Amino acid sequence: MDLRSLLRPASQLVGPLRHLAAASSSPSSSSALLLVPLISTRGHKTTARTKRSLKMAPHDSFLPSRSAAFPAADQIIYNPPASEASPEHTPFIFLPRNDPRRLAILRLRNNNNNNNNSTFSDPSQPSSSSSSSSSSAEAAAAGDGELPPEMRYKRRQPKYNLTKEHIDEMRRLRAEDPLTWSVQRLARKFECSTVFVQMAAPAPEEHLRWLRAKMERKKERWGPIRTAAREDRKRRAEMLYRGEL
Amino acid sequence: MKRIRPSRWSGQLLQARRGAGIPAARTPLCLAVRCQSTSSVPASDSSTLDSSSSSSASSPPAPPLPAPSFDRAPQSAKLAALHARLSLSKKIPLQTLARALVTPSADANPNFNNANLAYLGSTIINFHVYEYLVCKWPRLPMAILYEALRAYAGDESLQQVARRWGVEAAAAPGEEVDPGLLQWKAGESNVVNTRWGYIRSEAAKGKAWRRGLSSRVVLDSDFGDQVSSTSSSGASDSERLEYNTLQSEAFGSVVQAVIGAIYTHCGRDEAKAFVKSHILSRELDPSRLFQFKLPTRELAMLCAREGFEPPVARLESETGRLSRTPVYVVGIYSGKEKLGEGTGASLDVARRKACMTSLKAWYLYSPGNKVRVPSDMMEPGAKPWTAPHIDIGEII
Repeated sequence: MDLRSLLRPASQLVGPLRHLAAASSSPSSSSALLLVPLISTRGHKTTARTKRSLKMAPHDSFLPSRSAAFPAADQIIYNPPASEASPEHTPFIFLPRNDPRRLAILRLRNNNNNNNNSTFSDPSQPSSSSSSSSSSAEAAAAGDGELPPEMRYKRRQPKYNLTKEHIDEMRRLRAEDPLTWSVQRLARKFECSTVFVQMAAPAPEEHLRWLRAKMERKKERWGPIRTAAREDRKRRAEMLYRGEL
Repeated sequence: MKRIRPSRWSGQLLQARRGAGIPAARTPLCLAVRCQSTSSVPASDSSTLDSSSSSSASSPPAPPLPAPSFDRAPQSAKLAALHARLSLSKKIPLQTLARALVTPSADANPNFNNANLAYLGSTIINFHVYEYLVCKWPRLPMAILYEALRAYAGDESLQQVARRWGVEAAAAPGEEVDPGLLQWKAGESNVVNTRWGYIRSEAAKGKAWRRGLSSRVVLDSDFGDQVSSTSSSGASDSERLEYNTLQSEAFGSVVQAVIGAIYTHCGRDEAKAFVKSHILSRELDPSRLFQFKLPTRELAMLCAREGFEPPVARLESETGRLSRTPVYVVGIYSGKEKLGEGTGASLDVARRKACMTSLKAWYLYSPGNKVRVPSDMMEPGAKPWTAPHIDIGEII
């Protein structure tokens, strides 16, 4: 490849000289012989057919739109077509400060916001810093409506509503009667998560031992089908975390 | 592939040869002189022989060499073919290439085996692979970095490289074997220690002692493996080491020794170009090396650490909720920014997969395909160095 790119200017130099020689109808055949190009270049036919005619800009719909966080709902053509998200594409906020992609995406978003703003309100108004800031605020207001619905699942929602007295009370209840004051019941009473109860007020050792023995007895009653299903579930989870599912 | 079973070999092959012990008895530091001719015997060796045998036999037959002598290297077609196939420089003699094919398991004498060349080569390979990995994926966790290094420069990978070069092993090492064949045998413990690291006193406690990642960084070998103490008995060692491990070690040492030879004879730049074209050109997908434990919690901790809004799972699309095979597409959002997307047959699986994709997107951040590495600065006329992205570290 390197050799070819080096040789190309040389052949371009030789080319005009050859034309000159042809125009002067070559009284001396020896000079024409000298000017025969040393490098055989690809002919017009092949290059035009295989390279130049195939060099086309992609359709606009093929270019990914980074203006919105996700494609608009009324979009019909998805280009590139639906495929699994690749971790090679670093999301915008994961890019470090000095990454050139960050600036490029920011510029693209600003342009898009400005365009939207001008089409909606006033096309004659030039884009300025004040209009871009207002458009970004508008986009933020519109963005929440555009986002897909949140899923309902258990997640950490810290309330920080418990004081030291509450925790002492929780520990006292748990130590008094761990059977009545179970983890769920304490969590409901103090309006906190079960994980917090388990951390703040762990059950006495003999109660835990009793619970473990109870679980063991329950497991012994499981038949082969249920045992296998449990093991399979564990194996499936491991495969999922390894990215094999 | 042909499988060699040392357990089925006849007794003749498994017996220790007569002269095998003599070179092994030499200490690595003393200058070893080997006489190729049968007439003269070195003085140190003759003194160890008992007097009756030396006096009775006028010219005692010298013990056979453990590996083919380097005098025969120029005659070997295999060596010349390998030299040409790797398009090595003329500066590298065939004798050096022949020496790269003699492993310490065949010839324990460090003046005649490839141990030193292989150690030199391994440091060059590991340096170039490490700098490439660290510059290309600056956020890789340490455990993944170790595995990525192993995938490029581990013994198993180097064995594949050597096999693709056309290196073949001799059935058994010996003087009469073609010097173009790899000389190695299983069940012989390495005499020369080529793995450097620290052996801890805590290692004596066995498995009970906890071995964290930071100790792997500081104390262990390049791949984060524990350096086993060589003081343990040799017999149990050889039993423990698998045949395949020894084989890949032997084949891997050939690649390392060839690179060490290139560095010795041709210099730094040639060695770097060779490493780049033979080892770094192999494809590795680091996203397949990950195994998560609690991806949702890890992602939440990442967002808390970096000051992003807490991640929220949003259901982007779904199909066939009431059917036998539903598909859910879940996206993870931090505020309005999308971090990742995952599909699954249940809401929970899709959410966890989306979390894993987001985490991989964080860890696999790359400044670009053409990253500059520190060793690029050694080239003449290099552009001024711009610092690569340096990450603050892992999440958990």
